[in-house]
Amino acid sequence: MEPTLTVRELTRRFGRRTALDRVSLEFGTGVTGLLGPNGAGKTTLIRILATTLAPDGGGVRAFGLDPADREQRRALRRRLGYLPQNPGVYAHFTAFELVEYVAILKEMNDRRARHDEVRRVLAEVDLGDRARTKVRRLSGGMRQRLALAQALLGDPDLIVLDEPTVGLDPEQRMRFRALLSRLGESRTVLLSTHQTEDVTTLCGRVVVLKAGSVVFEGGPGELAARAAGRVWLTTAPPAGTYWRTPDGRYRTLGDRPPEAVPGEPGVEDGYLLLLGAEGVPA
Amino acid sequence: MTPDSDAALLAAVAEGRLEALRVLHHRHAPWLRARLARRCGDPDLVQSALQDTFVAVWQDAGRYRPSEGAAGAWLWTIAIRKLVSALRGRPAPVAAEAAVTESAEDLVLRAVEHGDLGTALNRLSPELRAAIRATVLDGLTVKEAARLLGVPEGTVKTRVMRAKAQLRELLT
Amino acid sequence: MNGWHVPDDLRAAYLDGGLPEAAAMSVEVHVASCQGCQAAFPVQEEWLEESWAAIADVVDRPAPRPLTRGLTALGMPEHVAVFLAATPGLTRSWLLGVAGALGFAVAAAHAADRSMLVFLAVAPVLPLLGIAAAYGARVDALYEVASAAPISGGRVLLLRAMAVLVAALLVTGAATPALPAFTAAWLLPSLALTGAALALGPLLAPHRASALLAAGWLAAVPAGREAVFGAPAQAAYAMALIPFVYLGARRWNRL
Repeated sequence: MEPTLTVRELTRRFGRRTALDRVSLEFGTGVTGLLGPNGAGKTTLIRILATTLAPDGGGVRAFGLDPADREQRRALRRRLGYLPQNPGVYAHFTAFELVEYVAILKEMNDRRARHDEVRRVLAEVDLGDRARTKVRRLSGGMRQRLALAQALLGDPDLIVLDEPTVGLDPEQRMRFRALLSRLGESRTVLLSTHQTEDVTTLCGRVVVLKAGSVVFEGGPGELAARAAGRVWLTTAPPAGTYWRTPDGRYRTLGDRPPEAVPGEPGVEDGYLLLLGAEGVPA
Repeated sequence: MTPDSDAALLAAVAEGRLEALRVLHHRHAPWLRARLARRCGDPDLVQSALQDTFVAVWQDAGRYRPSEGAAGAWLWTIAIRKLVSALRGRPAPVAAEAAVTESAEDLVLRAVEHGDLGTALNRLSPELRAAIRATVLDGLTVKEAARLLGVPEGTVKTRVMRAKAQLRELLT
Repeated sequence: MNGWHVPDDLRAAYLDGGLPEAAAMSVEVHVASCQGCQAAFPVQEEWLEESWAAIADVVDRPAPRPLTRGLTALGMPEHVAVFLAATPGLTRSWLLGVAGALGFAVAAAHAADRSMLVFLAVAPVLPLLGIAAAYGARVDALYEVASAAPISGGRVLLLRAMAVLVAALLVTGAATPALPAFTAAWLLPSLALTGAALALGPLLAPHRASALLAAGWLAAVPAGREAVFGAPAQAAYAMALIPFVYLGARRWNRL
């Protein structure tokens, strides 16, 4: 993988709390998923990569550009699409007006070309027929798609999305994945998520953050493999946390309970085991 | 009402569906353009009238009543008025007559063979025919016809009167 | 239509203009209501698509906001006008607030003896209110998105502040004839306070800078009319404007 984006020794503190602690990573073309519990530093990392937050230490290089330098930061922003965690809206705007406003912030000054581009991205997220609807009358899922639309303006090379699948129903989530995997063919896409399913179906690579540090980096298969020999199925309820499977058995993670048979490990199992005490009582 | 009928499409346009307008445009623009071109020799004016027509349809599609006739006829009433508006402020358009390429003599020669209304119409002078076409076939008011033909309103009135008298004579 | 359709040769004659009038009329009447004959008209695909694109651009173009329309009518570039219309500080509620505050100040001027002082105190603060609401993480819902855009935050703030300032000055100026006596004494302090708020930009968020300056101003006004609005004070405001304009221009060029 030829890295398009590298972060080195990235550190960011908020007061006395260290949100990111000397994180070093490389990203290339394709979709990378960022997993981690709340407070793990996902949003801090995303915001630094989106150039809206400056790190306290370490550095970022994207396409050879250093966002610490004002001119290079601006050049990088021209190639960046960003969906923040809680994308705000101007509720009194129409969907079209909202995206058009961001298009102007992205220096699309020619009206005809800008309008065509706004229509294009609205169509990409299936909001073509909602262009005239006031944002306040859009459902939560539609607003999320609208926010995604603005991130696609100008066909950016680097797309950074903070929890983009929140609020989407299963069908929209599926279309969203199709869109992202298409984008990932030639662009660097980074998304944070709580949904291990997003990672399984979409991401060629996974990064797991925990308490400001990288605890895993690799393919989804490798993450699942971490749980090999740690997934168990029993016929009677075991001790600790478990859930019932559709065939009436009990599934648990960790040490082998009595009379258990091994289960098939998944990404979620690997993830939960990585989180240790936070995710699964040992 | 089938989903792709003109009436259904116009209803969809009234709801703001752009795709329906596109289908209507692709269906009707070619013949509307040809019909407008017969009334105005300036292709730019025809083009702009045609564009104005579909813009007006986008805004006013809700006014169409299927009970009042075919959508095509309704579209034409808009198109001809947009052409009249496009002609506003232009110098007296000789162009309005330019599409009629046949000379009055040719028409009269061919008309003598028959005795019906068509022949009678064809035997009218190009000016009288244009006046009849604008007011009767296109349904324009005298004022609109005057603008389309590039002559004063009084002239349109006289021509229509003379054309009717002549037709009456030819048909009796 | 009784199974009759326009024969090809008739249509060809119609299209090249050689068809006698009566026949042409009957073709036209028939075609207007016959889908088959409409479809038989020759289509130049390229012309059709181009013609449609032009129509789509018009009908699918959202009606510009009234503010955008007004600004472009005044000669402002279209994209700047669209941008300014999104200024949170220029919403109807803000303008109503400004008008309300002015109404109060004008009423006070008519009611009390010290009269004009209330108006003079209030007027320069009004643009500050707008600037406080113009840009920043707290007031602009799209702040985070805008922060990642190549257009710089400083330019966004300056453009919006100018728009808010002009709007506030226009409204305040419009209120002047309603006063018991003419006064323009509010103008220079108003400009100076706005300039100061913008000059403080790198140090303080706009809403903080505005609040600080407004508080300072309102605390200074009771010092008396002569002290705050007299000729020496006005000269000082004008002098203060110079570095503010300089700083503003420098920031602008660096953006």
